Parts: sequence; C-alpha cells; structure tokens
Amino acid sequence: MTVAVRLAGFWGTVPRPLKIVVSRLFMLVPQLFGVMMVTFLLVRLLPGDPALLLLGNMATPETIAAFRERLGLDLPVWDQFLRYVWSALHGDLGTSIFTSQPVVSDLLERAPATLELITYAMILTILIGVTLAIVSVVRPGGAVDIGSRIYGLAAGAIPDFWIGLLLIYFFFYMLGWAAAPFGRIDTFVAPPPVVTGFYTIDSLIAGNPQAFFSSVGRLVLPVLTLAIVNAGALMKMTKTVFADVYRSDFIRHARASGLPERTIRRIALRNCLPPIITLVGFMVGFLLGAAVLVETIFSWGGLGQYAVQAVVNSDYPALQGFVLVAAAFILVVYTVVDILYELADPRIRV
Amino acid sequence: MRAPDAAPLLAVDHLSVDFGEGAPKALSGVSFELRRDEVLGIVGETGAGKSVLARSLLDLLPEGGRIVEGDIRLDGASVLGLNEAEQGKLRGARIALIGTNAKALLDPVATVGAQIARVLRAHRACGRREAWAAAVDLLAQVGIVNPERRAKAYPHELSGGMAQRVVIAMAMVANPDIVLADDATLGLDATIQVQVLDLLVKRCRELGAGVVLITHDLGIIAHYCDRVAIMKGGRIVELGEVGRFLQGPRDDYSRTLLDAARVRPTPMAGQGEGAAQGMAEATHAKPLLDVRRLEKFFPIAGSTEVVRAIDDVSFSVGRGETLALVGESGSGKTTVGQCLVRLLECDGGGITFDGVDITDMPAKEFRPLRRRLQMVFQEPYVALNPRWPVRALIAEPLRLDPGLNARGRERRVRQLLDLVHLPLSLADAYPHELTAGEQKRIGIARALATGPDFVVFDEPTTALDIRVRAQIIDLVRDLQAEIGMSALFITHDLNSVRSLAHNVAVMRHGKIVEFGETETIFAHPTQDYTRMLLSAELPIEQGLLQRDRAEARRLAGTA
Repeated sequence: MTVAVRLAGFWGTVPRPLKIVVSRLFMLVPQLFGVMMVTFLLVRLLPGDPALLLLGNMATPETIAAFRERLGLDLPVWDQFLRYVWSALHGDLGTSIFTSQPVVSDLLERAPATLELITYAMILTILIGVTLAIVSVVRPGGAVDIGSRIYGLAAGAIPDFWIGLLLIYFFFYMLGWAAAPFGRIDTFVAPPPVVTGFYTIDSLIAGNPQAFFSSVGRLVLPVLTLAIVNAGALMKMTKTVFADVYRSDFIRHARASGLPERTIRRIALRNCLPPIITLVGFMVGFLLGAAVLVETIFSWGGLGQYAVQAVVNSDYPALQGFVLVAAAFILVVYTVVDILYELADPRIRV
Repeated sequence: MRAPDAAPLLAVDHLSVDFGEGAPKALSGVSFELRRDEVLGIVGETGAGKSVLARSLLDLLPEGGRIVEGDIRLDGASVLGLNEAEQGKLRGARIALIGTNAKALLDPVATVGAQIARVLRAHRACGRREAWAAAVDLLAQVGIVNPERRAKAYPHELSGGMAQRVVIAMAMVANPDIVLADDATLGLDATIQVQVLDLLVKRCRELGAGVVLITHDLGIIAHYCDRVAIMKGGRIVELGEVGRFLQGPRDDYSRTLLDAARVRPTPMAGQGEGAAQGMAEATHAKPLLDVRRLEKFFPIAGSTEVVRAIDDVSFSVGRGETLALVGESGSGKTTVGQCLVRLLECDGGGITFDGVDITDMPAKEFRPLRRRLQMVFQEPYVALNPRWPVRALIAEPLRLDPGLNARGRERRVRQLLDLVHLPLSLADAYPHELTAGEQKRIGIARALATGPDFVVFDEPTTALDIRVRAQIIDLVRDLQAEIGMSALFITHDLNSVRSLAHNVAVMRHGKIVEFGETETIFAHPTQDYTRMLLSAELPIEQGLLQRDRAEARRLAGTA
C-alpha cells in the first residue's frame, strides 16, 4: 500500500512527455506477445499443407511424415507456438521453405526497400495533402480550392497501379524523363554498403553520388504514385478539420489581436495536428501491405512482394515472419502516433 | 479630466452594415464618438447589433457582412479601405477586442504566456525571452497570482475568471488607444465580474484609453460607464450621460429596459405575509425535504487526495417554500442539486424526501419518486435533444405516467406550454430555432410535466437578456403561487433570489456559511463572505453613488 502510494507520488512528479513515452512503451511488451500469438494461429488457419505442396504429388506418406517432423509440424500446436516464440526471441524466424534462406535475412534484405518507399511517399503525401488543404481553406473559391476538389474526387476513385502505369507510360516511355521502373538502383551501379538499408542515405554516407542520384531517380515514380493516391484522403480530412479550426473563436480572436496571417495559419495548423497524426499513422501501417501492387509494377523487391510469394507457396515460416514484422511495425507506428497525439494535445490526461 | 475640445479618439459616422443585398441591415446609421479616457457603454438585447458593431470597428465582420454606408475615423483618419497589413497594425495595437467566453478565445494547445508573448511580438520587435518576461509581468498586473507558473499553464487549466484576465492581458499588451469589451464578463461569477471589470476600467484609465463596454447588464453601465448608448434593431435609440439616462430615459424602449432591470430587487413580502407565515409554521412541523450532513467527494486524478465538493451540508425545505443556494462557481451548489435528484450518489449524510429516506434507495424504487422530484438544468440547449420537436421534448417525461394516453399527453403538453407562457405554435419547433429564454421555458415545462412537489432550478437566469431574465423570474414566482411547489434555487445572481426565495443558504467551498431568511440576509449579513457576494452585485440604484466615489478615489489616486 505504502509502496503504491509512494509510487503514485513519484509518478506525479514525472514530467508529462516522459510519462507519455514510458507508459506507452510499457504497453508495447504485452501487445507484441499478443501479436505473435495471433499471427501464429492465423497462419495455421490458411489452407494447404506445406509438406504436401513442397514434395509434390509423387511423395510417399513416409517422406511426408519425415518432412513434417523436420519442420515440427507433427507437434501439438501449443508446443509449436512455444518453440516459435522462443526462437523468435532469439532472432530466428525459421527458414523459408521456398527460398531456403533464413526468413530473418530475407526480411532484412527486403524491409528497407519498402520502408524507404513508404517513408518518402508519406513525406510527399503530407506535403501535398496539408498544403492543398490549407491553401484551399485560406483562399476559398480560388484555383487551388477548385482544383483540389476535383483531385479529391478523383484520388479516391483511381487505383494506385493504374496511376503507376500511367506515370511509367508518360514519363518513362513517352518523354523519357524518368528512370526505368526496374528495381531500386541502376543495374550498372553498385548498391552502397548497408548501414540503414535506405539506398539514398547509405549512398550519401558512402559518399557515392552516382548511387545517390540513381536511387533517387528510381524512387521518383513509385513515390509519386503512392503520394498521388494517398494525398487525396489526407487533404480531404485536413481540409475539414482545418476549416473548422480556422473559423473558431480563438482564431478570430488571434486575428482581432493583430497577429499576422502567417502566424494565424501556423496556430490553426498546430491545432489540427492530432487528427492528421492519426491518419498519417494509419496510412503508414496500411501502405506496408498495400504498396504491393506498386512494388510489383516497379519490380521493387520489397516486403509486399515477398508476402504474396509466401502466400502463393504456402511458405509458413516466411509468411509468419512477414506478418510478425508487419504487425510489430504497425504496433510501433501506432505507439509513435499515440505518443505524438498526446504530446500534441495538452488537454489529454496521462 | 476630459478635454471636450480635443478631436474624438474614435468617431463612428452613420455606419450601416448588412449581410448581402436585400437582407435586413444589421446596423443602420449608427453614429457615436469616443473620447480619450472615456468609458462608453453600449446596451441592447440579443440581436441588437452590438457585436456586429464591435467587429465592424475591427473590420472583422462575420462572413457576408459588409459596411454599406458611413465612416469610422480613428484620430480623425478613416480606417475604412485599409489593406490587410495596415489593418493588422491597427488590430490589437490601437484597437483591442476583449470578447465573451475567454476560454474559447484562447488557443487550446499553447501556453497562455506564449499566447500573450505572440501578440506582443506581432506589434513590437522584441526577442522571445523579452516577450515572455513582458507576458509574465502583464499577468502579474492583471492580478494573477504566481504569474511565472501560470504563464506556463494551458487554457484548460485555468478558471473562467483567470482566462478572462489572460484575454485582458492580451488586449493590453500593446497599450491600445481603444478597448472594446464585448460582453467580457458574461457567465462569470458576480464577484469575479466586479474584479475583472474594475481591473479593466482601471487599466484603461491608467493608459488613458477609451473603452467601449458592450453589455446587456444595466448594472455594469451604472457602475462603470460615463455615457451610454441603447441599441435596438441595429440602431442607437438613445445616447447620453449615464446619470441622466438612469434618472429618466427619453426613449420608450430604453425605459422598458431600465424598468425590467429595476424590477429585480422586489422583496419577497409581496406574496402576502399571512400565507408566508402559515407556510413557515407548517415548515417547522414537517419539512418536505430534509438534508442532513451531506457529503460528496471527488478524487483528484493522480493523487490520493479528494475534493470535498459538499462538506457537511444540512438544510431543510418545507412545503411551498423556496430555498436559494447561493455561491460562486466551484462552491458545490450544483453538486448539491444533483445529489438531491440522485444524479450523483453522495458519499455521506442523508436525504429525506416527504418522510422517506432516499439516500441509498435502489434506483428501481427511486424511479417513481423522480416524478415528484425534478430538476431544471443549467444549460437548456445542451439538455434538450436537438432532433426532437418541443412537443416530443415536453411529452417525454409524461410517458412515466402510465395513466396517460396519447390524447391525454397532447392535452397536457398544451397546458404546460400555456403554463410557461409559450405560444402553441412553438410545439413543432426544434431547440435550435428557439431563443435562449424559450429554451429555458421548455426546460422548466419538462421539469413541471409530471407535476412535481419539488423542483431544483440550476442557474435559471444566467446569460439571459435583462427582460428575459425578469420574465423567467416572474414565471417561477407565478408557478410557486399557482402550483404551490417547493423549490431549490441554485444561482449566483443574488438579485433574482431576493424576489423569489423565502430562505437563503450561502455556500462556499462545499460548506453552508450562512443561512437565514432572505430579507435578513440582505439587510444584515453576518459573514464577510456574504457581504462580499452582496457588494459584488451591481444594482442600478447605488451605481451613481458608487461611481462618484470611485471617481473621487481615482482622482485622489492620480493627483
């Protein structure tokens, strides 16, 4: 009791930002364990026996049984799960049945490709979406306002792969401005040594301008594709929220106090941050899987393609690895979102 | 002090504003002048165009509004037709606006110190640290205790009065020539209102600024203003010295306003001494509602401490008797009301209603009693379902009565509308189509629908126009006489209490500090706190005297 009281007293003195971060990080542990359990069970629910699939029609019951034993498929599900958690904690997600490589190294090779794509796409999405929203609220009826309305309608209706194909057709095939849609870097340019896994950053670290420009060139079209598709939704939501704030009493009062318009816009945008943070967080998590079509079109070799391959081949370890990494990644993104959200709004109690 | 020969600081000349072609004019031909070191009061009811006037002075009219005629001159130079940048130099720097509901005027995600510093930096080139220091200094000047710490607070952490002070500090930051206070103290406690207005007027006098005090409270006018303009339907119907106006308004409408404001302090005695005596005796026999040592605590988040919202409160109300519970916000008076109708469970003590102990009565058994024990909520608009017409709103509580069929309910709805003096035509209106006064009446009708013996009125007259407030008070008084119900009247408006309540209980920090008959409390308050509450009231009659004294003090102070 006294310990609890003293703890509560101590907790009361912790500064608010630290409180938010610590309490959120604590939540991460049970959440991750839950994610592992769910992914393990979900993958088991997929149809198709991997042993049968890999050995083909000619396999005898004995070879199948032996193979199952080798993969641990003959053990009780609960036992399989415990083994899985144990090895996952030691950085072993098993060996991909299809590529015959450790799943971890497969994922480590592919994850940075997708993350690099998503990161730049999100930055561009935020820039486009928020800027359009603000300009169209501040100058209603202007060219940007009308243009953004049309764009808002279209962006929800046009699929990403189609935009990707259009961009390739016009900017690569017709005009020849863009780099070829074949992978992350020019075939003749050696990828920079891995530090972060992002070619753009690694090439800068390595001081290799050729690799840098090549990788940036390859990024332009896929990033643009994802941004065009996603900026529409972000713009529409930001516009609604921003318009509300922009009409509110405190903005009117700021204007009556003689604050310059630039400052007023900044204040209004600052007040819109919580919903923007939420939507951007959601989009990042969503893109991890949804970028697969764009990855395919641009032969990106990212996580999405790997996952599709794993599903098609009933590659249990690979699929489990992907789902685990994706879920963990989304969990981390949402945790960051929660932290930022609470930091952005001082009214939320922690 | 005033120099009549000097050019007026602000001259408004035949100003007309409308909202689009064909729409009725929001302002038509408004003319007045404001001199340095003068406080001009502008009075009018809701919709008279007061706020439109204030905002047109800053060229910040609501969407669609435009000035169609007339001129606004500041120190002789017209301010119409200035571009945005020049307007920006005017707003906040030369003309500052203090609006209603300060908490909504502050940026919710920035500290108040940063907000004041921001305004300062917009008008004067200075460093971040310097601006912050100035903001803290200014907070101290507007009477905020511990300004260094308060400067780091966010608006939601401040009380309404404190937020209003912050807004005043924001307005004063650039030493403006003109301060427009648009209902700046609406919804504040009487004591806080006096503090805030004193502070505002004092600061402006020190700066020699001209003040336009927009209000619907003639008490404020009588106490603080030099001249007064009465507005109605977008026109100024009367403009003159406050003293002359209070002695005899020339315009009919201003006379109605003044009369309505004066009606308030009629003593309770008007109801007939005999009846009151008889009731008082009956009271001693057996009170309808008896509250003994009531307690209610709220936990404070993140600690083991509690707020003692109600701390050992006892009182009783007899049949046909009205008790007024008076106190500032946060004194626990609304909590008492909510405990009585069991919207909140109390943490100690007991409540007896008509001989039955209802303190821990199970909700199921208490339900039938609710018909006899009703509450009128503070904010009628929030308490009314926006998607229901008036008819359904009033009929809702009637469904509690199984003996009433659809036709019976319909008849009862009509009776109730009639009882609260609303026309039948309103039966199909929705809450947003009603005025604040009509919403209050609907709230009262709902509470009366089940024919209760006891009604809790929670702040029934706050934020209403003078005439509407008088009407609501009349209504409640009529209802008392007609139905003979008992009531608990929760309010911070002492004047309304005087004409309604038999007894008054003064609450502070969850305790009743003084209890007695209404007239006794008004005539001979024994507690300092009660005296403070009484002195915070701004009755019109004493206004002139006090103003002269204040003027004398001020002159003595400045000399």
